[in-house]
Amino acid sequence: MINFWDMIERSETGEILEEAKFDRRLSVKAKELVKKYEIKFHPEELIPSDDSLVDRVFQAGLELFLDLGIFCVDTRRLIKFNKEEVMEVLRKAPSKLKFGQGRDEAMMEYRGIEDQKEPFCGFTPVGNPVPEELFEKVVMSYAQEPMADSFSGPLITSLHGLSIKSGTPIEVEAAIWNAMKLREAARMAGRPGLGCHNFVSNAEKTDAIIAASRKDFGLLDGDGLLVAAIAELKVDYERLKKVAFLRHTEFSIGGLYGPLMGGYAGGPEGTAIVLLAHHFLGVLVFQADWHVSFPLHIHHVCNTTREMIWLLSIVGQALSRNTHLLKMANGFTAAGPCTEMVIYELVAYAIASTISGSDMDPAAVARNRHLEHCSGMEARIAAEAGHLVARMGLKRDKANTIVKKIISKYESQMEAAPIGKRFSECYDLGKLKPTQEYSELYERAKEELTSMGLDYSYL
Amino acid sequence: MEILEKIVESVMNGDVEKCEKFVKEALQQGIDPMEIVKEGLSKAMNIIGEKFQRLEIFLPDMILAADAVVAGIEIVKPKLKTKNDWKGEEGKVVLGTIQGDVHDIGKNIVKIMLETSDFEVFDLGRDVPVDRFIEKAEEVGADIIGMSALMTTTMVYMPVLIKKLKEMGIKNKYQVMVGGAPVLPEWADQIGAEGYGEDAMAAVGVAKRLMEDRKKKEIRHD
Repeated sequence: MINFWDMIERSETGEILEEAKFDRRLSVKAKELVKKYEIKFHPEELIPSDDSLVDRVFQAGLELFLDLGIFCVDTRRLIKFNKEEVMEVLRKAPSKLKFGQGRDEAMMEYRGIEDQKEPFCGFTPVGNPVPEELFEKVVMSYAQEPMADSFSGPLITSLHGLSIKSGTPIEVEAAIWNAMKLREAARMAGRPGLGCHNFVSNAEKTDAIIAASRKDFGLLDGDGLLVAAIAELKVDYERLKKVAFLRHTEFSIGGLYGPLMGGYAGGPEGTAIVLLAHHFLGVLVFQADWHVSFPLHIHHVCNTTREMIWLLSIVGQALSRNTHLLKMANGFTAAGPCTEMVIYELVAYAIASTISGSDMDPAAVARNRHLEHCSGMEARIAAEAGHLVARMGLKRDKANTIVKKIISKYESQMEAAPIGKRFSECYDLGKLKPTQEYSELYERAKEELTSMGLDYSYL
Repeated sequence: MEILEKIVESVMNGDVEKCEKFVKEALQQGIDPMEIVKEGLSKAMNIIGEKFQRLEIFLPDMILAADAVVAGIEIVKPKLKTKNDWKGEEGKVVLGTIQGDVHDIGKNIVKIMLETSDFEVFDLGRDVPVDRFIEKAEEVGADIIGMSALMTTTMVYMPVLIKKLKEMGIKNKYQVMVGGAPVLPEWADQIGAEGYGEDAMAAVGVAKRLMEDRKKKEIRHD
């Protein structure tokens, strides 16, 4: 089986190529494969039930990966693999992974299409920026949720009154602070053994990550770190250095992939192929144990439009039918906390992900950019919907009908989606519970969702 | 079909060869070179930009169209009355993704839109140190310094650059525009950036407004 050294050697000996030419090769190849494999997005078939189409997406993703390879930004070379190497590493990839310990232990296991096994839910505010003084409370709002199988935190932008800048000593301090505070928050939330699927989100540079990767800072065996590909299908030494370090540790590696729909890969069909191909990058280059997809609409910066819901579903299904990889879908919504729209966006994302065999990583809301616009309630909303899909034994055609009804509630507001309320406005900071307003909004939406076919009495 | 319409169509199809052919034909027909630019090449690129905004086309189509426009401009350029008639008429922009940040798709779209809108763009690429922006801006006599960032740990280098320009006593020589996923308009205001683009497609409008502001303030390099 191909190993780390083989991969590094290829990054130093592969074909030399200009980056712009690689981007163009990707565009041309994706377009060619969409045609060859007759892959077509249909706005009424958001959760496709056509297994042949699903398998064609997998084949197209594989062909793209084998033909194109990965671009290494630092060496300006292609890292390529052959089909046997891809298939072997897929066969040997883990199909289950333990997070956490004691009574908070949770198992991430392979899920298939229409699987009645409840999804593993990694509760997270993703990269939402919050003030330093609110960090712990925000994290607790996620970690305390009963459906949280693992957790991670938001970002802080300054520490001790200084901006956290990439590549500076402050970034190292921020990474260490981050690891410590996450575990402290989990303890305060009464979940001391809850696994953390991304133990540093405040830092990018490898030295800062290494500095924070210590059990005496609160990390547990099996805690994870996300290593993100540079879209589309690119890596650099900064990422490979993280892999070089992590593979010697007891921490797990999560591959993170966020191609832009409308970008180099083209439309939803081309982006589906490219997103799928990123999973091969993950197993071969990052040695990822588990995988997170967050494809984004290039203008709306979310994945809850019709095209994006289709994309999440088709790629999840293609991986479920053809591999046993551990895969999560990371929801990005346009609307923010305490709005009706965010509830419907989260539920649409949850249905599309879980019915297609993915686990969930909810969620980045309000396009993940507005200060303190995140709360554990959004993760709860998505997780409850995902659990319902499994408990109800929902089938794809029925899920498709429900998702279309849900999307029709919000798609006209996509451009000017409400950013909603801040954490401190939609949570009671003393009791650390959603405000009455937010709770009632959710209760009303649940009634509406039940009438659409997602039966909340199964909760 | 009128020759200018043929130019528009060839750009929209991303057909470099046809675009070059039709531009040459238009020149042979005695059409004013500036009209070829404005009513052919620029017009087509505006349509392309609008279609991209609606996602009727995607980034690869826009790149191909930009290639056709650039090829057409290369043919027209020698025929323009003065060397500044096209290249950089609107202004000079030093552009890059800020220090520590490797995410450059947004910046690349900004580059395409600016270049095909009569700006001269000096693209410094990704992970560009603050000092490199300043050196390049000084070297080429830039009007605008444009920075993009995708991460909170990198966008904080934007105010570092502005502060440094002030400390060097050269801030008034440049307009600064910023953008990128975590960058909000209020933050751009707060750090003293004159321009903010909600997305890459907004960059041309912002850059043009900044150039108008410059003209009002009569900022000159020469």
